[in-house]
Amino acid sequence: MSRNPASSTSAQAPTRAAEIVREYGPFEGARNVAGVTFDGHHVWTAIGSKVVAFDPANGEVERSVECAADAGTAFDGTHLYQIAEARIDKIDPSTGAVVASIPAPGNGGDSGMAWAEGSLWVGQYRDRKIHQINPDTGAIIRTIESNQFVTGVTWVDGELWHGVWDGDESELRRIDAESGAVLERLEMPHGTGVSGLESDGAGMFYCGGGPSGKVRAVRRPPR
Amino acid sequence: MDSLIAAAGRALVAGDALGALKRVALRDDPPALALRGIAMAQLGEYPRARELLRRAARGFGTREALARARCVVAGAEVALAMRDLGGSPRALAEAATALDARGDRANALQARLIAVRRLLLLGRLDEASAALVGLDAKGLPPSLAAITELATAELALRSLRTADARSALDRAFAAAQRAAIPALLAEVTEARAALDRAAARRIHAGHEEPLRLEQIEALMGSDVLVVDACRRGLRAGDVWVPLARRPILFALLRALAENWPGDVERNALIARVFRTRQPDETHRARLRVEVGRLRSLVAPLLDIQASARGFTLVPTDDRGVVVLVPPIDGEQASLLALLADGAAWSTSALALALGDSQRTVQRALAELEAAGQVRSIGRARAQRWLAPPLVGFTTTLLLPAALPPE
Repeated sequence: MSRNPASSTSAQAPTRAAEIVREYGPFEGARNVAGVTFDGHHVWTAIGSKVVAFDPANGEVERSVECAADAGTAFDGTHLYQIAEARIDKIDPSTGAVVASIPAPGNGGDSGMAWAEGSLWVGQYRDRKIHQINPDTGAIIRTIESNQFVTGVTWVDGELWHGVWDGDESELRRIDAESGAVLERLEMPHGTGVSGLESDGAGMFYCGGGPSGKVRAVRRPPR
Repeated sequence: MDSLIAAAGRALVAGDALGALKRVALRDDPPALALRGIAMAQLGEYPRARELLRRAARGFGTREALARARCVVAGAEVALAMRDLGGSPRALAEAATALDARGDRANALQARLIAVRRLLLLGRLDEASAALVGLDAKGLPPSLAAITELATAELALRSLRTADARSALDRAFAAAQRAAIPALLAEVTEARAALDRAAARRIHAGHEEPLRLEQIEALMGSDVLVVDACRRGLRAGDVWVPLARRPILFALLRALAENWPGDVERNALIARVFRTRQPDETHRARLRVEVGRLRSLVAPLLDIQASARGFTLVPTDDRGVVVLVPPIDGEQASLLALLADGAAWSTSALALALGDSQRTVQRALAELEAAGQVRSIGRARAQRWLAPPLVGFTTTLLLPAALPPE
């Protein structure tokens, strides 16, 4: 099985252990954390049948929106985008109303989503891809190939990071948005899943913890 | 986990197997195959479910050991429901170890319970009992606690410890109520009802009386001498004299016990034990020999004394004598009574115990099997016969526990 075309690259990329700063949750009613995003104040966490917003300073849940929430979550400054089944719902976070829906690029194989530069970036889990799509139509603008399962996507300071989760191994990795080449890797502890990834725009990543029902804060390496 | 897998998993946990299938029907990646397999199993499509789960297990890479182990467990559960007991238990044991190593205690326990139930169905009670010891369902889903208690009850019933069985079933009932799985609750309720049905009859001084398992256990625990025509032997408290392989001697003992404290006339004994209406001197000589053999086998418990016209039982210590017979008459009832110990019997051993030809026994077994009252495993000379499980726990697929939230 040829599953690792760029493994030589990833082996050479600087690798260090992820520094987990804090854990939040598990959240009530969560079988599984499916996606995370950040609105400047709250961390929004998709947990199946709703998205809850907690304050990262104290971990307390302050808001919650009932909606189908199966995978990645993103925030464009006004609306939440939430992957449910094979579509992406655009949700008004104040009312929970779905204002629009577009097809998800992976046709249901989607996992992980980020908002950046007017586009949505959507991970396609087992197909090891990241799609840049038009948030109004769902049209695919371009596709980046990774060499690992993609379970979360985020942009911070012009860096594209994605979550990797394959069995017992998971990591956060920075890749070249053009070539897909791996530039940097943060290895999560053995047995920790990464489902959903978001940066707070500063020094922290928030990672969904899959069936643990937790969200973990991981320090972003200083530049 | 991707979005459709998550959505299908949500549907499955809510009991909507068709809704789950609809979401992943066209996908062939390993998580989708696993979900399709579990949904198919819940719809009763066992062969298809096994095939899908096998493909899913193969498809998960070596790095995805957890997901792979869950598929193995789900596949084993389906095999059990199909009563396919031929597979090697090693893959299941390895899956349990892999699950334990990754902190998935619930699925590890489920794997081990499947192994115990398999041993119970194979009639390997000692191994099942050993495997059951040390299984701990504390803090795990109540459905697993219910299954653990059902297996405990089955083992207790097979060895006629009805008080143990009843308390295990009480715990199973409480757990099944917490689990709120209707099929599981129905099974526990049925098993409890079985405890209250007549399991044998007592013949004492010419009178017959139906007995429930608890009454049988009490009888076995008393100091009465029990001539047990269900399991073919003589029991006195903890002492068990098996006579299943000595059908003539057992027939003799039973005839004498049924008439106790009176005696039985020689020709009547000959007619019954040797099945002949024209006794001659050779039969009388043979009767003396058989009485002598029986006397030495049952020696410290009772004596067999010659009377003017025949023989009579004389228990030591003034004990009473009762005869226990199957709840209804006939060949089939006798077979079922023998199989009630839960062990695997060969046709020849059953024929020997009943004193019938193998052909007769085979015919009766075939009828019972067609009626679902006995099961067989193996083929030809290796074929063995078993009673169906007292508690039908295998109809409850606990597959949602094997569902991978990765």
